[in-house]
Amino acid sequence: MFLFIVKRFASTIPTILILMIISFVLMRLAPGSPFSGEKMPPPEVLANLEAKYGLDQPWFIQMWRYITKIIFHFDFGPSFVYKDISVNDIIDQGLPITFIYGSWSFLVANLVGIPLGMIAAIRHNTWIDYMAIGVSIGAAVLPNFIMAPILIIIFTLWLDWLPGGGWNNGAWPNVIMPVIALSTSYMAIIARLTRGSMLEVLNSNFIRTAKAKGLSSTTVIFRHALRPTLLPVLSYLGPAFVGMVTGSLVIDSIFVTGGIGQFFIQAAFSRDYSLLMGITILLGAVTVLFSTIVDILYAVLDPKIKL
Amino acid sequence: MTILNKKFTKAALVAVLAGATALTAFSASAAKHPVTGEELAADQTYTYRMLDGIPSLDPQIVEDVTGSEIIRDLFEGLLNQDAKGNLVPGVAMSWEPSEGNTVWTFKLRDNAKWSNGDSVTANDFVYAWRRAVDPKTASPYSWYMDIMSITNGADIIAGKKQPSELGVEAVDDYTFKVTLTKALPYFADMTAHSTTFPTHQATVEKFGEKWTQPENMVGNGAYKLTEWKIKETTTRVRSESYWNNDASILEKVVTLVIPDENVALTRYKAGEMDRTAVPAGQYPELLKELPKETLKFPRLCTYYYVFNVSDSAPEAFKNVDVRYALSYALDRNIIVEKVTKGGQIPAYTFTPAATAGFEVPTVDYGTWTQSERDAKAVKLLDGAGFNKENPLKFTLLYNTSEGHKKIATVAAQLWKSKLGAEVTLANQEWKTFLETRNNQNFEIARSGWCGDYNEASTFLDLFDSKHGNNDGLYASDAYDAEVRAASSSSNAAAHYKKAEEILAADMPLIPVYHYTGVVMLKETLKGYPIENVMLKTYSRNMYKVAK
Repeated sequence: MFLFIVKRFASTIPTILILMIISFVLMRLAPGSPFSGEKMPPPEVLANLEAKYGLDQPWFIQMWRYITKIIFHFDFGPSFVYKDISVNDIIDQGLPITFIYGSWSFLVANLVGIPLGMIAAIRHNTWIDYMAIGVSIGAAVLPNFIMAPILIIIFTLWLDWLPGGGWNNGAWPNVIMPVIALSTSYMAIIARLTRGSMLEVLNSNFIRTAKAKGLSSTTVIFRHALRPTLLPVLSYLGPAFVGMVTGSLVIDSIFVTGGIGQFFIQAAFSRDYSLLMGITILLGAVTVLFSTIVDILYAVLDPKIKL
Repeated sequence: MTILNKKFTKAALVAVLAGATALTAFSASAAKHPVTGEELAADQTYTYRMLDGIPSLDPQIVEDVTGSEIIRDLFEGLLNQDAKGNLVPGVAMSWEPSEGNTVWTFKLRDNAKWSNGDSVTANDFVYAWRRAVDPKTASPYSWYMDIMSITNGADIIAGKKQPSELGVEAVDDYTFKVTLTKALPYFADMTAHSTTFPTHQATVEKFGEKWTQPENMVGNGAYKLTEWKIKETTTRVRSESYWNNDASILEKVVTLVIPDENVALTRYKAGEMDRTAVPAGQYPELLKELPKETLKFPRLCTYYYVFNVSDSAPEAFKNVDVRYALSYALDRNIIVEKVTKGGQIPAYTFTPAATAGFEVPTVDYGTWTQSERDAKAVKLLDGAGFNKENPLKFTLLYNTSEGHKKIATVAAQLWKSKLGAEVTLANQEWKTFLETRNNQNFEIARSGWCGDYNEASTFLDLFDSKHGNNDGLYASDAYDAEVRAASSSSNAAAHYKKAEEILAADMPLIPVYHYTGVVMLKETLKGYPIENVMLKTYSRNMYKVAK
C-alpha cells in the first residue's frame, strides 16, 4: 500500500514538468505582447519593458530561468500586468479565497446531492423521485452566469439580506451566494450519479440476499448499499473538487470575491505570461494531486482493486 | 472553531468600531458645506465601481484611467485641474515659462508634506521625473515624458544617456526648473498627468516594487491608501498630513471591482455605490427611469475606422475616391442613434470639438445632408470602377466585442445597401488584433483614441508619419509640417485646423463618433466634475449631502 502511494505520487512529477514545458511553448506561440495596447508603446519603451521582464533573452533561456526559479525558489516571477506585485502575491491572495468558497461548495454539493440521489433511488418512480430529478436537471442546465445575477437581484436588490459582492475576509453573508451559485450544478450531477448508482446496487443480488435475511431497510441501505453506491460517485468527486477549489471566472467576476479563477482567463487574454504559467502549473498540480488521492481512495474502498 | 471564534471577535470589533465611527460622524452631522451651505451627509464615504483591477498604483508606471483616478488622490503633482478643467495650483503655487516657452519654472509651496511628515521639495520632482524615463523603471508611459519634450528625455529612454542628464533641476528646495528641446505652450497642462507626480525616493528604494502596498506607501495626496486587494477593492481615507486637509470633506473613498456592468447597476440600485457606468445601450431607458442620476458629458475620445494606406494596402484603398465613398456613405447618425444610443456625437473630424483651443474646421462633407453624401459616394465609387456589377470587396477588422460587432455590422450593411460593397467582417481577440493592426495586416480596422491631455496635438500627432500608432501608415509631408509647426506656434489652432482639413482631403480614416461619458451618479454626491472633459476627478473636491 505504502509503495503504491509513493509510486503514484512520484509519477506525477514528470506530468507536471511536461505541463510546464508545453504551456510555456504554447503561450509563446500565441501572437501579441503583454505590453501592447490601444496606445502602442514606442520601440524604445517596449525594449526597456522586455529587458526588465527578461523577454529579450532567447526562449530556451527564459524557460530554463523560469522553471528553475519555480523548482528551487518557488518563485513564479513578477506579474506582467499587475506591475506592483508578483505572481506569488496574487496566488497568496486568491487561492485561499477560492479554496474557502470551493470547499464549502463541495460540502454543500455533497450534503445535498448524495441524500437527494439516495432518496430518489429508494423512492424510485414516485413523486419524490420525479421532483428530485426535475430539480437536478434544472440545476444542471441553469448556467451560473445566469444564476449569479439572479441571486443578486433577489437577495440584494429585493430582499436586502446579503451584500451583492465582495469578500470581506470571508464573512458568511459574503460567502453564501458564491457557494449557492457554484455548488448547484455539481450538486445536480452528484444527485443523478448517486441515484443511478444506487438503483443499480439496490437491484443486485447481494442486496436481495440481505433483504431475504430479514435486515431492516436502514441497515440494508447504510451498511450494504451505500459503499458500492458511492464508488462511481467518488470518481466524479475528484475532478469536481478540483473544479470547485480552483475557482470560477463567473463566481469571481460577478461576486467580486478576489479569487484565483478570474485571473486564469484574464491572464491568457492579457498575455500575462508569468501569471498564466503560475496558475496553469498550480491548477495542474492540484488536479494531478487530487486524481492521485481519488485513485488511492478508490483502492481503499473497492475490495476488487488489488494493490 | 478557534478560527471561527476569531472571526466572530473580529466581526464584533469591526461592528463596534463602525458604530463608534457612525456615532462620531453623527455628532458632526449638522455640518454644512462651507461654500454652498448645503447640509452634509453624516457618512462621507464615496463608493464607486471599477471595471477591473488596477495594474499599478505607482505614478510613474500607471497607464490606465482608473488607476490614475486613485493616484490623483494619493499623490499631488505640480498642477491640478478644477471642475471645468482649468489649471489650478497643486504643489506648485505659480509657474512661468521663459525663453520662448522652452524653460518652465515652478515655485513650490513650502507647506506640502509627505504622509510620513517629510516636506515635499523640488528634489522629489527631480527624482520622480528621472525615474519615469529611466530604462530600469521600464515605465510603459515613459513616452509621455518624451512628448513633453524634456531635454534628453528621448535619449535616456533609449539608453543613450543617463537619467541624471534629464532637463530638470531643483534650483532650491522650492523651485523646480524644466528645460525643453522645443517650445511647448501647453507644457503646464501636461503636468496634471500622473506620470509627472512626485514619488518618495527613500520609500521606493527601501521597498522596491512593493512600495505601493498600503503598509509601505508614502504619498503626498489628500488621501492615503489603507487597503488594496487586486480585483476586489481599494480604500483610501483622508490624509492628516495633506497641506489642505481642512478643506476636504469626503472621509473615505472605496472602489469595488465589478466587471459585469449589469450586476454593478443592480448593486448601485441597491444602494451599495454612489457611482457606476451606464450599461451599453441602456442610456435612454435609464434616463427615463432615473433622470436625475443618469448623466451624460462629452469626452476627449474618438471612435474611428482606419484605412490601411501602406504599401501592403489593397489597390482600391490607394484611390482616395474609394476612401471618400466609404466615409461619406457611413451614416454616423444611424450609428449613434440606433446602435450606441449613448448620446455620442457624429464625427467628421478626428479631434473632438470639446478639445481646448481647438476650432473645428468646416470640413465640407460634415455640412452636407446624408443623401447628398450618399449620392456623392455612389458617383465617386462608380468613377473608381466599382458598382453593383463589379462590387468593391474588403474586410473590416475589429477586436472581439459585442459593441464593436454591432457597429461593424451596421457599417457593412450601410456600405452594402448604398454602394453595393461586399464587406467581410472579421474579429480577433484583443492582443492578436493589436498585433495584426500594428503590422498593417488589415484593410480597414476599428480604432479608438482618447486624449492624454486637453490639447489637439494629443489627437493629431497620431497621423504624423513617424507616430507609432499610425497603424494605416498614412504619410503626408504637408500634414507632418502642420502638426510639427503647431507645437511651437503662437497660433496652434490655425495649424490644427489646417491639419484636419488635410485629413478630410486625404481621408486616411473614417471618424465615426466622439465619445460621450455616461454615468450613474447618486444625487447626494456633489462635485463630480462632468464639465471637465478630461474627467480629472479629485475626491477632495467632492462631498455628500444629506438626503
